Amino acid sequence: MKKVTSILNVLLVATALVCGSAAAATAQASENEALEVIMTRTSVREYTDQVVEKEKVENILRAAMSAPTAYNRQPWFFMVVDEREVLDELAGVINPVLGRTGLGIVVCGDMSKLPEEGDFAREYWIQDCSAAAENALLAAHAQDLGAVWVTIYPQAPRIASTREILSLPEHIVPLNIISVGYPAAPAEPKDKWNPENIRYNSWE
Amino acid sequence: MKKILNSLKGLLLALVVAFGVGCAANSSEGKSGSDNSAELLDLIMTRASVRHYTDQPVEKEKVDLLLRAGMASPTGRNLQPWAFVVVDDSELIAEIAEESSILGRAPLGIVVCGDMSKQPDDPEHHYWIMDCSAATENILLAAHALDLGAVWLTLYPMERKLEKFREFLSLPDHLVPLSLISIGYPTGPAEVKDKWNPDNVFYNSWKE
Repeated sequence: MKKVTSILNVLLVATALVCGSAAAATAQASENEALEVIMTRTSVREYTDQVVEKEKVENILRAAMSAPTAYNRQPWFFMVVDEREVLDELAGVINPVLGRTGLGIVVCGDMSKLPEEGDFAREYWIQDCSAAAENALLAAHAQDLGAVWVTIYPQAPRIASTREILSLPEHIVPLNIISVGYPAAPAEPKDKWNPENIRYNSWE
Repeated sequence: MKKILNSLKGLLLALVVAFGVGCAANSSEGKSGSDNSAELLDLIMTRASVRHYTDQPVEKEKVDLLLRAGMASPTGRNLQPWAFVVVDDSELIAEIAEESSILGRAPLGIVVCGDMSKQPDDPEHHYWIMDCSAATENILLAAHALDLGAVWLTLYPMERKLEKFREFLSLPDHLVPLSLISIGYPTGPAEVKDKWNPDNVFYNSWKE
């Protein structure tokens, strides 16, 4: 009985601590709910079995396609993966997290919407698709979903396996997979604020 | 002794209840409410590139929030390979404007840089471009949330821009400027592009 009580006590303290730091982290932006979503987004890798609703998937895709792109080329393509076998296949070669989720969104670059090889502007697709991916992560968090950015590009073996599993043509290059689901447990955002990363007007 | 323990436990319970209520309040006005969901989705969908600004300077607290939003983005292996140079000196802005004219109309610029000293040796695991792009997008969204207007001006991978900005900002060799975000209070409403296109989506397999 005494053991149970002391475990309970530890649990109580832990809960208080977690809530306390979460409150501190969000206090700054609490007057602005949209900002708060940005500040509290975190990587979620464990999900419940609940299926993500069609409307929520569409909102995520709409958010992704709202990202800015260089010269407004919108050089992207999205593969929504919601079939168990396909997710499990991806899990085997990319990341085990995909075996635990019912939904993956592969953000791809579409090389056919870019200038010829050799032109520096061809490389902007990485930045464009990364902005789209961040929007997708935020849209998931805003809709009570949890998500994590699983890297593919620039790892050649991962690009090749994803291409094979999804039958992607040559001009489509997968950048990442966003694994999405209802979080199994509340997740605590990392505090990455570091003033040493900032200078004003000159680095020196 | 037992009494002390008991009263301590009482105190803990009270604390937890207090925090619990705080947390519940936080999350109900925070991420779990549908209002909130609508607000962020709306923010994402209505963000647009803003290239004309009033003379009003951007408040220090807002600059701080923009930087916090930047550093809240995810990074590969959590390496946080970034650095942010805030440009608010009018002489420097005028100098930079000769290279990136839009900044000449803005009271504030933020240059997002990749920090190569925080990248692993294997280039197959270099994610700094993606990491700093996500940070740039977060800053653009935060600006929009704070009633500011902003636009992403590309620097990387243009050699000429990289050289110029290294010079403008006295950047050390391990910092590579990825983007210049020009920020200020918009002179008018911005035109939002509707880029939604269901033809950009396939399910489970490529369809010919």
